[in-house]
Amino acid sequence: MTRPPGPFRREFWRSPLRGPWLTAVFSAALLVAIPIVAVTGFLSNDAYYPRLGTNSVGRPLGPLDVYLFPFPTHPSWVYALNQGLHVTIGLAAVPIVLAKLWSVIPKLFEWPPLRSPAHALERLSLALLVGGALFEFATGILNIEYSYLFGFFFTTAHYYGAWVFTAAFVFHAAIKLGTMRRALAARRTMAVLRERLEDTRPEPVDNELVPVAPAAPSMSRRALLGTVGAGSLFLLVQGAGQSIGGPLRGLALFAPRSLHRGGPNGFPVNRTALAAQITSHQVGSGWRLRLRAGNRTATLSRDELLRMPQRTYDLPIACVEGWSTTQRWTGVPVSDLARLVGVDGRFSVETRSIADNGVFDSATLSAHQTDDARTLLAMRVNGVDLSLDHGYPARVIGPGIPGVHCTKWAGTMTFERA
Amino acid sequence: MFRRLYGASPLHLLALIATVLIAGAAVVGWFDSFPGPTAAKVLAWFVGAIVAHDLVLLPLYSLIDRITLGRPAARRSWIAYVRIPALLSGLLFLVFFPEILRLGDHTFFAASGFHQRVYLARYLLTCAALFALSGVAYAVSLRRRRQRVRPRTPPSRHRSPPAP
Repeated sequence: MTRPPGPFRREFWRSPLRGPWLTAVFSAALLVAIPIVAVTGFLSNDAYYPRLGTNSVGRPLGPLDVYLFPFPTHPSWVYALNQGLHVTIGLAAVPIVLAKLWSVIPKLFEWPPLRSPAHALERLSLALLVGGALFEFATGILNIEYSYLFGFFFTTAHYYGAWVFTAAFVFHAAIKLGTMRRALAARRTMAVLRERLEDTRPEPVDNELVPVAPAAPSMSRRALLGTVGAGSLFLLVQGAGQSIGGPLRGLALFAPRSLHRGGPNGFPVNRTALAAQITSHQVGSGWRLRLRAGNRTATLSRDELLRMPQRTYDLPIACVEGWSTTQRWTGVPVSDLARLVGVDGRFSVETRSIADNGVFDSATLSAHQTDDARTLLAMRVNGVDLSLDHGYPARVIGPGIPGVHCTKWAGTMTFERA
Repeated sequence: MFRRLYGASPLHLLALIATVLIAGAAVVGWFDSFPGPTAAKVLAWFVGAIVAHDLVLLPLYSLIDRITLGRPAARRSWIAYVRIPALLSGLLFLVFFPEILRLGDHTFFAASGFHQRVYLARYLLTCAALFALSGVAYAVSLRRRRQRVRPRTPPSRHRSPPAP
């Protein structure tokens, strides 16, 4: 079978930089980054407790839903850290993924296309790997920028995409680890990094990635690695800025959540009262919090809630999209509310918002989350009443809880003994 | 015997079967969670992502590079100083185009109470800064090279500056 023309010919690929060493450098970086992104992604799903109430937001649980341990509530910023890592390392990995794919693109056109059953199946696994990576990065990035071009529910699509990507990644890493180590050992990294443009030659090995008819170099390897590294670092700062906050937030020029206002209620929100269609009538003096456990019920006004013993804790609001902000919250521990309807031991609680036009208008906190005395129904933040955008008259807040489970504009809390 | 027929060790085959089965379970998950046409759209995005990258984006930037480069050996001293800021600007656009082009403005406003209109100007200014920095770096390298080329020649007051 003769080779078709164009990219199927080895002379077509001319960059003198391509070779097993360069690919192995990108692989080594991704071997650190991708496991962090994957593990934090699955942990985030864990933190949502998809088995409880409507927490899986319409995704029927299947055999892939294995939960080994409850997501922790200590330290209180554990979910902020998890999501900060997921999104920040994910963003920083983008240029490395692109560079790695550029470095191996001749393999897409290798000839003959199928050499053996093993080779054919391996190429199928590469379709899962590359498709999984690009799908996960594309949907994740569109999601943090609120651009739902894809037209399907993000969480579910991203979750199962992660399984495809992770499975293919583990397989690929397992079969290529030796190749990567040999390629890295073949050259002295520092010597390569000292090469100037005029010293740049193709890698001195017989390998299908190394061009047979190289063009004159127009960039040294250190310039290429430096460019990829600079891009990665810039994106890292964007993610870290909106996650760590403080002065770093100002550096995150492109972070979706670099924008905020001043004042005690100026920190970011994930849903405005306007979008939730909350009217002043609903949250006026007629507002009541309803508590339920079995057939016991109780009803409390905001003044009655404020007369209960109040607790104040510094807790982050941590969004699945990777931004977070720590504020000082004051309110009533949910376990005190549980006792008003006769629940003394461990319990889970579903909080339903008076908003009823959103995906997360109701969320269930697990017994593990309510065990923590810092899980509050908050009425105040930073010494003042919550603003309407932050969930006035009362909202849920607690340690290690994903932001969208900190239900705003609380209406009804239903307790269930665990 | 197995290796000759299959082309790799049995371990390779076992690991591959496990990978394909997990991926299969994930695809079943998509179809269990979404109505048929939506699940098909997810698969279309999965395949489309490969096509968009491997057969559109990568050839496109390679082609732009090849066209703008011309004959690299002839004038390679300045190439890096254009290519690196161009690559970084392209990367930033690729990652942030949804907010730069305000494709999610409606949802973003509902979520945050802000509009995405700040990002286009920030993007343009960041690109400007990248190219300007690169220009400064090029000027510095030109100067260094001139000093390297003629280390002993005393500087002449009457010499006109060389064209960049």
